Amino acid sequence: MYLYDAIDREFLTDRSNEFRHQVARRLAGELTEDQFKPLRLMNGLYLQLHAYMLRIAIPYGSLNSRQVRRLAWIGRTYDKGYGHFTTRQNLQFHWIKLKDVPDILDAMAEVDLHAIQTSGNCIRNVTADPYAGATAEEIDDPRVWSEVLRQWSTLHPEFSFLPRKFKIAVTGALTDRAAVKTHDIGLFLRKGRDGAIGFEVVAGGGQGRTPYIAQTVRSYLPAEHLLSYVEAILRVYNRHGRRDNIYKARIKILVAALGIEEFTRQVEEEWGKINAERADLPAAELDRIRAAFAQPRFETLPDVSDAFEAARAASPALQRFVRNNVKPHKVPGYAIVEVSLKAIGQTPGDATADQLDVVADLGERYSLDDIRVTHAQNLVLPHVKLDDLPAVHAALEAAGLATANIDLASDIIACPGLDYCALANARAIPIAQDIARKFADPDRAEKVGELKIKISGCINACGHHHVAHIGILGVDKKGEEFYQLSLGGSGAEDASIGKILGPGLSADKVAPAIDALVEAYLHIRTGEERFLDTYRRVGLEPFKEAVYAQAD
Amino acid sequence: MPKLIKLTGDPSGKDFGAEWAEDGFVHVGDDDALPEGDVILSLARFQAEGEILLSNSRRVGVRVEPDQEVEALAYDLPRLSVVALAFPKYRDGRAYTSARLLRERLGFTGQVRAVGDVLQEQAGFMVRCGFDAFEPADGATPEAWTKAAHRFRHVYQRAADHRRVAFEERAV
Amino acid sequence: MKAITANRLIDGEVVFWKGGAWVDGFGDAQLFDEGQDAEVETAVATGKAQPTVVIDVYSIDLTPSDGRWAPVSYRERIRALGPTNEPTHGKQAVGGEVVEALRHADGAARSTGRVDLIRRK
Repeated sequence: MYLYDAIDREFLTDRSNEFRHQVARRLAGELTEDQFKPLRLMNGLYLQLHAYMLRIAIPYGSLNSRQVRRLAWIGRTYDKGYGHFTTRQNLQFHWIKLKDVPDILDAMAEVDLHAIQTSGNCIRNVTADPYAGATAEEIDDPRVWSEVLRQWSTLHPEFSFLPRKFKIAVTGALTDRAAVKTHDIGLFLRKGRDGAIGFEVVAGGGQGRTPYIAQTVRSYLPAEHLLSYVEAILRVYNRHGRRDNIYKARIKILVAALGIEEFTRQVEEEWGKINAERADLPAAELDRIRAAFAQPRFETLPDVSDAFEAARAASPALQRFVRNNVKPHKVPGYAIVEVSLKAIGQTPGDATADQLDVVADLGERYSLDDIRVTHAQNLVLPHVKLDDLPAVHAALEAAGLATANIDLASDIIACPGLDYCALANARAIPIAQDIARKFADPDRAEKVGELKIKISGCINACGHHHVAHIGILGVDKKGEEFYQLSLGGSGAEDASIGKILGPGLSADKVAPAIDALVEAYLHIRTGEERFLDTYRRVGLEPFKEAVYAQAD
Repeated sequence: MPKLIKLTGDPSGKDFGAEWAEDGFVHVGDDDALPEGDVILSLARFQAEGEILLSNSRRVGVRVEPDQEVEALAYDLPRLSVVALAFPKYRDGRAYTSARLLRERLGFTGQVRAVGDVLQEQAGFMVRCGFDAFEPADGATPEAWTKAAHRFRHVYQRAADHRRVAFEERAV
Repeated sequence: MKAITANRLIDGEVVFWKGGAWVDGFGDAQLFDEGQDAEVETAVATGKAQPTVVIDVYSIDLTPSDGRWAPVSYRERIRALGPTNEPTHGKQAVGGEVVEALRHADGAARSTGRVDLIRRK
């Protein structure tokens, strides 16, 4: 992973000092809350329902064990002993005090962590495929480019007061595990005709009040021009994005208003005026960053591990774990292990400090000190030897981290919702827990197969409900929590926006409705169809009938 | 005279500072009578009357609002003393783009002044984008301004100030 | 009936106005009845003039419940109690009568019945 040097570290120190100074000015009344708010937001600090929430940046979802241990320590020392992983691969602490934040930032800086630009109208955490560097289906490592963008976007003087937030995602694989097409800018690594590396650049994706799938701005951009091209897009957005209405201020609105052709024309015109030599990264610097992600020293192992096979044969639990949570690795004898933070009945995406310590230990010992966060609020140990899988599984199981439900119905994405968030209209967590309990029987969950359920407590869609196989949006209907279901969304490479199923349901009717949808699916499906496939084949009607007949 | 903070020294180096300066310019509204001396006009008024004023050998500045394209001044820049870029609200970041374009694309070497909701917490960004004069709205002093602009020993991206970027520091 | 709430600047804690001071417990909050709109306004204005003490000062509507008062808004109940997914976190952790009363106030449970018409704040 990218290792900070003295310059990077001095930067974090300066940032931490700056915020300490800004907090002091705020407490002394030298800054109004209105003046202070964007400053604290650009350090990831929100005022939520019960306390401040601190959102810590986990650049492209990548952590080492030292960092994970420090996060556990912060959770214990300054919060209530847990953290919450988000749909942008970041970590949130929900019980933070303003007066502690300068010290927290210092403690984070010691392990090269920060909260820079995890909120605010600026370029946010660049997210990427959590399997980067481990998956065989990679044209190039998206972490290289994510790190390039991270540095370039950090305290960018021109783009720190955009019309609204700006989110970029990068993937190097054909399978999109980073919801790239729902981003303001999405970058798909592609091979050029000459075998060189480049990007398909998409823009204008986004969820929230008006969801859009990103459209292609440029089908092939030579990789060395990434920064100048992104600069062109940002400049067009900074100049022409709407500033009169926060609900119409994202770049997706601009792209939709101009149309992709005109938007592209403006971007290309601006790009033509940029001095690329000055704007793009010199090859030497690119090489330096790329070197940070050089392939680690993998052992030369056989494809098959006898020890693992024996353990697997003897343990149905291990079999189930491998079936659902373990993915193929590009190197023989290794595997990618997903760590589910969706234990039945737990808060989705939460990890206790103790659990974080377990993950840190496992990461250090069994995964080449490499730990990832997925946008589905789970963790990944990307480089586990098959030989070590039984030990890893046992340790995860002991820590409550071995629920074998990745991508199954109980692997629910849920935002913190009205239990924590000042923006929410309804709660998401209890709904997720109710639904998960319906699929507590792992046999049932596996029978149903891949089913991505995502819950947002408000229209801001942090739970990604628009791109869920079954999406659930909490609304406030005359003071009551109601939930609107949608079907057929996808955040993967087959991206689509879900369609609303029907009138909103009261909270107690949601889990039964999911049951009804699943039963309908099991009844209708043919062959190997996932829920999403069946829906795409038969449409809304059979599902609508299943839910609304049942609700009566 | 109105309080103006001006940068001293070269913003690409570590030694630049700021000081109080006499502001020789008067902001003139579109419906105001024109006073004697150096003036800053709106873009519209400049486009109507600027030629005459410049030929009277006054020093002329133009105030550009965030929704106005600074490129409209391209041909006039060599004769302009000041371009004042407005921040109606400090959160409106369009003037940062305008400033960079003035410096890096249009080659403007006169004064680029920040006016409106100009706060010391944004001093660093403004200096990097090419602003060299400021009408502070928050009672900031040149000392506070200098301190704010010097908060970061390193920067990661190129901008109008031509400051050495982190990777250039490493290359040495 | 109304009460006044805010968040404490220094730690973000939910607080309630009580006679010019800010208290942590909803049960200690000063109550303002229908005729006291002017007092409510004054108190809110006072709170807003304390930007280094509290932020986001506003009044909330209350509804009678079992001999006590409870916020009409579900959001305000959560602010007064804590998150529903973790009963040991937040103000509810102290337990006691006030907490129990809030928890079981009409409409406070998962919404299955009608609640009086409200504004969110």
